[in-house]
Order: sequence, then C-alpha cells, then structure tokens
Amino acid sequence: MNRRVLGVITGASALLLLTGCVADVPAPVTEAPALEQEAALLEPQSTRVVEETMAEIAAADEAQDSELFTDRVGGNAVTIRKAQYTLAKSDGGPAPVTVPENVQAVYSVGADTWPRTLAAVTEEADEDSTPVVMLWVQDSIDADYQMRGWAHMIPGATIPAMSGTTSGNAQLDVDAEGLQATPEQAMSDYLELLRSGTGSEFNDVFAADSYREQLFASRATLSEAASEAEGEYVDTIQSDIENTYVMGTADGGALVFAPVTIKSAFSVSDGAVEIADEQQPLVSGDIEDVAVYTYVDTLVMYVPAEGSDEQMGVVAADHNLIKISDS
Amino acid sequence: MTLRTAALVAGALGVLLLIAGLIADAQRPPADIEAEATLDTAVVVYSPEMVAFAGDNTLGVDGEGDVVALTARPVDADAWLAERDATEVTGLPEWETLSTAPYEVAEPEPTASPSVSPSASPSPEPSPSVSPSGEEAEPVDILALTSSDHWREQWSGVDRVAVPAAQVPPGETLVVVSRDGSPLAATDMTLSREVNDGWITPLIWWGVALTVVGLIALILRFIDTRPWQARAEKWRVGRHGATDDVDPGSRRALRASGDPLPDVTLDHPADNPPATPASPPSTPENPHDQGGRA
Repeated sequence: MNRRVLGVITGASALLLLTGCVADVPAPVTEAPALEQEAALLEPQSTRVVEETMAEIAAADEAQDSELFTDRVGGNAVTIRKAQYTLAKSDGGPAPVTVPENVQAVYSVGADTWPRTLAAVTEEADEDSTPVVMLWVQDSIDADYQMRGWAHMIPGATIPAMSGTTSGNAQLDVDAEGLQATPEQAMSDYLELLRSGTGSEFNDVFAADSYREQLFASRATLSEAASEAEGEYVDTIQSDIENTYVMGTADGGALVFAPVTIKSAFSVSDGAVEIADEQQPLVSGDIEDVAVYTYVDTLVMYVPAEGSDEQMGVVAADHNLIKISDS
Repeated sequence: MTLRTAALVAGALGVLLLIAGLIADAQRPPADIEAEATLDTAVVVYSPEMVAFAGDNTLGVDGEGDVVALTARPVDADAWLAERDATEVTGLPEWETLSTAPYEVAEPEPTASPSVSPSASPSPEPSPSVSPSGEEAEPVDILALTSSDHWREQWSGVDRVAVPAAQVPPGETLVVVSRDGSPLAATDMTLSREVNDGWITPLIWWGVALTVVGLIALILRFIDTRPWQARAEKWRVGRHGATDDVDPGSRRALRASGDPLPDVTLDHPADNPPATPASPPSTPENPHDQGGRA
C-alpha cells in the first residue's frame, strides 16, 4: 500500500514537473502583415498572361482561324482579327497586322473588384510601325484575363508614368472625378470632334493626333467623290461605354481604353458603288448605290489629372475595317 | 540518528529521485512537435495571420493524389473561396492541436451609404448542402475549372504538400487544395518549442548517488562488522600509544603541566630590525618553535 502510494506520488510529481517545463503556446498573430505587392498581377503572372495570349494569337494566325481564340483573346479583338484573316485568305490579300510578341512594359491594377484590366506596350514590329498598346480584361475571379483590343501608338505620343506592382494602378470608373474631364465626358467630346471635324470647339482641347487627321482626310476625299456622283458620305460614330475601361496613371491622370464603332456610308445617286478588289472579301450582301463601311476602332486616350498643364489626347488608335454592307 | 540510519534515509530518497527522474526522462516532452488537425474538405486555408504565426515553421497538408498549395492576395482568395467549401486553420490552442473552422469570406468594408436594406438579414433556415442522391461525382481538376491568373506562388506534391511558411510572401493567403476535389485528410504545422528539461539528468544522477549510499548502508546492516571494528580500534590505540610521548618544553607539554604559555609579541624590538630581503632569515625567538616538531 505504502509503496504503491509512494510510486504514484513519485510518478505524479515527475509528470507535474514535466508540465511546468514546456513553454506556453505562443500568442496568436491578430493583425495580418501588410501585403508587399498590391498589384493584382505580379510580373510572373502578367508574363504568363502575355505569353499565353501571344501563343493563342500565333496559333490562330497560323491557321487563320478566329475560332482558335478561346481563352486569352476575346471581344473586339476577335472581330478585328477575323476580318483580317478574311482579307488575308483572298488572293493577294494583306497579311494580318503583326502583333509584336515582346512587351516593353506591363501595367497592372491594384483593384479589389471586377472587372480588372491589364495593359501592355509592345516593342515596334518593324521600323515603319509604332509600339502596340494592348488591353486585357478580367471579368471575374473565375475568368482569365482576356485581350480585348489593341492599338498602335500615335507617332510622337507617349504613355504617361504608371505605377508599379507595389501598389498597382487604380481601376477607375468612366465617371471618375479628379480628372480634367470624366473619362466618359472626354470620350464624348472627342467623338464630337471626330463627327464635326477640325472646326469643332474641341479641336484645341485635344492634342493633335494622326488618327483623326487621317479620318478627316479620308472623309474629305470620299465626301468629294460622293458629291461628284451626286451622293454623300456620312460618318456615324458611336462609343461603347459599357466596354470602356479606365486605368489610373501615376500622375493622377487616366488612360481610357475605348472601343469606337464608325460606320462610313458612301452613297451615289447615279450608279453603283464600286468596292476595291482587296476589300471584296468583307462585303456582306449586294452593294448597289450605298456601301456602309463598318470600322471597329480601339482608342487609348490620356486624360490628365485636374489642374494639370498636360493636354488630353489620343495616344494610341487603330482604324479596323471589319465589314462592308449595304446598310 | 546514527550515520547508518541517515544513509538508509538518503538511500530511500535516492530511490524516489531515481524513479521520478526515470519517469520524467521517459516522458520528456519533445522540443520539435507537430500540431495537427483533421480535415474533411478539399480546400484548406491559412490566413496571412496564421502564416505569420507559423513563422519559420512548415505547414503541411495530407490528402490523396495531387495536393497543391497556392498563394493569392487575400481579396482574390476570398473571391475564389466564396463559392467553395473550405476549412480555415484558425489557431494553435494546444501545442499539438490546430483549431479549424469552416472558412467564411471576409465581409466587405462597410460603405458610407446610410440606407441598409432590411432584406439583407440572413435566412434562419439552413440550406441543404448535401446531395441525397449519393452518387459519386466525377473527379475534376478544381483548379482548371476556373482561372489561375490570381495565384501567385505554387507548390505541389502527391499525397502531401509541405510549404515553409517563410516562403509565403507576407500578407498573402495560403490555399491548399486537393486537385481532384477529394477531401483532404489532415493538416499539420511543425513547431519547435523551448523545453526546460535540464533538471532531469542531474535528478537521475543524484538519485543514483543517494541510492548507492543507501545500498551500502543496507548491505552493512546485514554484515557483522565487529571484527573489523575491533581490528580498527586496536590499530588506532596502537597508533595513539606510539605518539603519547610529549616533547619537553612544547606547548602541549606546557598545557599538560599547567604552566602559562609565553606571550608572543609581533612588534620588532629596536635592536632587532625587521628582516630585509637582503638580510639573512632571522631566527625565530619563540623557544617553542625552536623545540620544533622535528
């Protein structure tokens, strides 16, 4: 009995001593450490997105099949590329516009919500072309970043300073304040300038750009040609605010990526409109006295911050013919 | 209390110390441990706070097949997890246990809007979450079902993936998934802790020493030592007899005769200056020292 009690006491004493020789469980960490890189995409992620996009474009280009645009290319980019493939398949048709694979800068947003954007500036494809500005959009967490549009930079234009991956760029709404004009208003004014021509009150508001100069020059030529045939030439220009995305810049301004649809109606009263041979593959329907050229353009506009001395202006734009129809 | 009794008591105490020390040594808590928790979902989440809590330790998850660990911004992880059943590791209540809870997406920041819809209150009725059909679903790659653009870092393994917490960028959420959607088995966190067990080994040695002492006393209790004692006594008496002669004039002889001991002064007399290092050693004046213990 005594020995048993002694044994129990001894063992219990040893265990009691042991319980006291282990440190307490450490206190929990109640505050999350700060995120070092707040951009939605870091360089390895954006590189993967760009590489997969270029691979998809290369595969589609090789087959000249827009059906191969599945994950990484979507929206107007598919429509535009499909038209280019259509032209390329015809005898002597132009090759699709080269999209340079190498990028010189990638800009990610630090947004917590969707949709989010990613922008990149490529290198020049050749000496005669300018770098291409590309836009990717992610609609939700479950969707891939998808390239929705691209545009060649306006000669002489520059992309403003953008934030790096530490904070990312702001994802702004089209009605964002703190700019010389809201992105929506800026686009509205610019389209009004495109409609009205050089005589528009907004001609001096926006910096000069080769995009509108070429549009005005073409309009003048075609209007004159239509007049000679007792017809007319009318441009109908519409923006697509729903698919317009705005990315903040490091200086408080914004880059506005806006798809624009332009329908150029050329009509004659005493004859039939003749379509150029290289454009024939895009003809839809029977063209008689009216031909409507449909363009899907991508504009990238810089809107400086409120109070800035900079001038609003288009920094990249492409004029893409996708269809010729009779209405 | 005799010496033998004291030795026996020490021996008994030594046995107790030895037993206590051996028990403690056998039950010595390990410094490196593994805190665990069982899982029943295909996804487990370590929040940035838990990753920071893990520090330099390793987070492991066991499952069947491909097990993939990924990191993402918390807001992206929340969005991805919003429509998935997941388990969140919430803490370490005990050294060898991880606490878990069903993952709940963080509520968005409240807006300044004063109008709050009363219909936003959650329905009290639980929604059925288990299909009664009992049919086994086709295995799918749950990572391939959706975009992986938001994942930043990735580790993968077969049946198990282990991620050093220090390799997870600060502030990012760690999400571990079973690629085919099968439930994960368990998650663990390896930990190193401080164990104050330096007293165990000395305790054992003290116990051994005291036990030996007690054992010797016990053995001597059963052995007749009187012949050895008598022999020792005789040797001692014989040795005393040889040394009983007292040197005449010594202090011991003076004490035995009752004569007063001579006074010894430490002051140097004037005619006897203190010795210098150059002078020869002085002769001691104390006659008793001269008598010496030659």
